[in-house]
Amino acid sequence: MKAISSDFAPPLKLISPFFSAGVIFYLLSMIALLFFEPSFAYEQMDVAGWLHLFLLGFVMMIIFGAMAQLVPVVLEAGHAVVDVYYVIFPLLLTGASLMVIGFWIIPQILPYGGLLVLVAMIIFAVENMATLKKTTISTLTIKTVAWSNGYLLLGILTGFAIALGFSGYLSINIPLMLKAHVYAVLGGYVVLTIIGLSLILIPMFSLAHGFKEDAIQRAFKLVIVGVGIVFAGALFSQKWLMYIGYTINTIGVLFYIWQIYIIAKLTVRKELDVWAKSMIFAFGSLVFSIMTGLVALVTNDQAMLHATVWFLLLGFVSSMITGHLYKIVPFLVWFERFAPLVGKEKVPMLHEMYSKEGAAMMFNFTVAGVVLGGFGLLFESNMLFKAGASFLFGGALFLFIGMRKMLAYGK
Amino acid sequence: MCSITKENVFDAISTVIDPEVGFNLVEMGLIYDAIIDEETCNVHVVMTLSTQGCPLHQMITTWVKEATERIEDVGEVEVEVVWEPAWNISMADDNVKQALGGM
Repeated sequence: MKAISSDFAPPLKLISPFFSAGVIFYLLSMIALLFFEPSFAYEQMDVAGWLHLFLLGFVMMIIFGAMAQLVPVVLEAGHAVVDVYYVIFPLLLTGASLMVIGFWIIPQILPYGGLLVLVAMIIFAVENMATLKKTTISTLTIKTVAWSNGYLLLGILTGFAIALGFSGYLSINIPLMLKAHVYAVLGGYVVLTIIGLSLILIPMFSLAHGFKEDAIQRAFKLVIVGVGIVFAGALFSQKWLMYIGYTINTIGVLFYIWQIYIIAKLTVRKELDVWAKSMIFAFGSLVFSIMTGLVALVTNDQAMLHATVWFLLLGFVSSMITGHLYKIVPFLVWFERFAPLVGKEKVPMLHEMYSKEGAAMMFNFTVAGVVLGGFGLLFESNMLFKAGASFLFGGALFLFIGMRKMLAYGK
Repeated sequence: MCSITKENVFDAISTVIDPEVGFNLVEMGLIYDAIIDEETCNVHVVMTLSTQGCPLHQMITTWVKEATERIEDVGEVEVEVVWEPAWNISMADDNVKQALGGM
């Protein structure tokens, strides 16, 4: 019998700080957006600060918390040293905060923040690798975890070099290193992790069965190769190599979307809850960002490129995460507080642990915000962009309140 | 001679509810069989789960075991999780299919 021990599950008190802090960083990111203009350059320090607030504070924080819970489920083995997550959290929290302050106010503290983040991520990657060694099974998701951790380390090392460069401690070609860094972290870690986890979580929550995995196998291989090529192209300043990598990656992501379409067709659960709606919006945004990305690549239109990144980060990545929070957080709380009471007294269902109205408001505000803000960037309209940022702030506020209530449920 | 029937076992297990979908395991069609030893009243439950990566795997099997153990005069209870045949929605009761939108 193949059993996944409940003993492998880390305690709620270990994981919940990641989710709480991640949502606070999301709220702060959306507040910060209110002060931005729709035309900018990625090399600007304030833009880099916002990207780190969003990517490190929100995306990475939530992914780390989710991985603490999901890695044992996927690997069917307990963590090598689960207690390291007690160390990772304060390091990432402090490191991310210092980096944002470094980008925005005091550049000299950038490398210190970067160093803390580097240490947090090295601990995370090494622990994941050690846990990987314990498993006897080999699935696509497991290979994804291994590759994504490798790219994470590359991304962090290049990021740290950039931090040293910014503060004058190291003489490097910052724009080139920046491309390598962004691609290793965003394409190599975030996208690969999302692809791997999608294959577990989306069929699980939608009750889809009996689908072939050929498309996602291809997606996985193409994204790994593509990210590696772009990384090398950026590092050695070979533009042609980077274009080959972009093309391979785009084909890889198209295969991933095709796999999701196959799963969606076999979905048993037709209920459109906040998770299902978020998934639809996330994949719609991903398709849209691929289209704008291709146009941006051909025309070299900066506004189009900004809209592409916007829909990719706030439409796809963000909605994938926020949608899943409404599934994962109630489960964690339920597992800790109610699972021991099953059979002894009435316990709540997972969907009863959050306000449907609050979740709907979060979703509606976020969709309005992403669409308006995205078009604000596309047409360089300050009014549209500010309207989008305001809606996103509203959505983030509903998410924040919803998260507080979920984590406090049954306390 | 054991007086426990397969129906008794299925009735007992129907108190176990999947917290994600809100239906009991029997109406979900996740319980494949209950083999009862007529001499000892030992029960061997054969079941599956809706997904192989279910984080509640061990907990659900424990609930099934505990629910079966609450049957009067039951002997040893063993729960076996199998993946063949793989679960699909056609195995669920009509009310489940309807509620999930599969009908």
